[in-house]
Amino acid sequence: MKSYIINMFVTENTDNFEALMILSLNGDQRAYASLLKETSRLLRPFLAKRLSFTNEVDDLLQEILISIHKARHTYDGKRPYKPWVYAIARFRLQDYLRAHYSDQLRQALDLSEVEESLPEYVTETAISYESIRREVQKLPAKQATILQLMHEEGYTAKEVAVKMGMNESAVKVAAHRAYKILRKKLEK
Amino acid sequence: MGNIDDLIDKLARDTAVVKPAPHPYLLSLQWMGVAAAYLILALVFSGLRPDLMLNLQQPWFVTEIAALVCIFIATSLSAALLAFPDLHQKRSAAFAPALAFVLFLLVMFCAWNADSPPAPLPVHSFECTISITLVALLPAAWTLYVMRKYASTHCRWAGSIALLFAFSVGALWLRLYEINDSILHVVEWHYLPMIVFGLAGLWLGKTVLKW
Repeated sequence: MKSYIINMFVTENTDNFEALMILSLNGDQRAYASLLKETSRLLRPFLAKRLSFTNEVDDLLQEILISIHKARHTYDGKRPYKPWVYAIARFRLQDYLRAHYSDQLRQALDLSEVEESLPEYVTETAISYESIRREVQKLPAKQATILQLMHEEGYTAKEVAVKMGMNESAVKVAAHRAYKILRKKLEK
Repeated sequence: MGNIDDLIDKLARDTAVVKPAPHPYLLSLQWMGVAAAYLILALVFSGLRPDLMLNLQQPWFVTEIAALVCIFIATSLSAALLAFPDLHQKRSAAFAPALAFVLFLLVMFCAWNADSPPAPLPVHSFECTISITLVALLPAAWTLYVMRKYASTHCRWAGSIALLFAFSVGALWLRLYEINDSILHVVEWHYLPMIVFGLAGLWLGKTVLKW
């Protein structure tokens, strides 16, 4: 009767993890169920803070509970319970994260795997300085001169306008038209 | 949530009386006792070095053996603590081998300085490493086997310390058996390989002590 009352008191007093664990080690199934329930309540916020999805938290929590079950003989009830249980939880969390990230790495495609299926080398271009220069020379004389002055000799639109006796906006318009013609020709 | 409740019910139904693991200090004492018996047995089979009594009057030889015994004790204690998930909440004691190794390095440095004129190098070399490894195999396998019964959350360290413990038995055996006073030889072929095996234990621990 006395042990039943003590048992009831301890099972009700859910904060007393150490006492619950001692009873569990003595084969008390009810105390063990209470202990595991309280432990999962204790660990859920710890895991939720570190994982993004609820289903991940649940999966890991289950793994941790199984680990606690497997390792319960390493707890003697004479030292605080929480550091013991957190050590197991941290260990399983690290394992889980390691497996999760290595899975992601495995699923990630290496560039060399898709290289051959790419249409061509995307970083290389057929357009060279010489080909642009050739196309510039084929432009109407005024547009070609404007581009040469601006891009080869480094004049500003304003300076080109003074040099060619035009106004600045006319120079900009002519340059813009030249760019359009060039783009069309080079894209071909 | 429902899954967790089901799991808890299942685990609770499965539970029975569980015998708690022995205290790590007791476990460590057991390991040291068995390892010491094994060392004595090995020495009985191989024989002690004939000049042992003479060497026991040499202060640096005695200090070296004492430092090796310190490593033997510290690694045994640490391995026992590392076998528990929370290091039995004696974290500082688990790092005792670090202190023992610092002491050992200091002793080796002083012994090397005192070795003047240097003792002649023996004709053999890697044979010592092989002998130590062979002697250490059994304690290593046994220690790792016992550790697997617990639940280490520091598998790599536990593996490394377990191997250092086993190799300290081998190193002690060879120092008490081999006629050799060259510090250079001892460092090169006894102790450096021991450190290398300790590093290999990081990998072995991860593989063997996973649970």
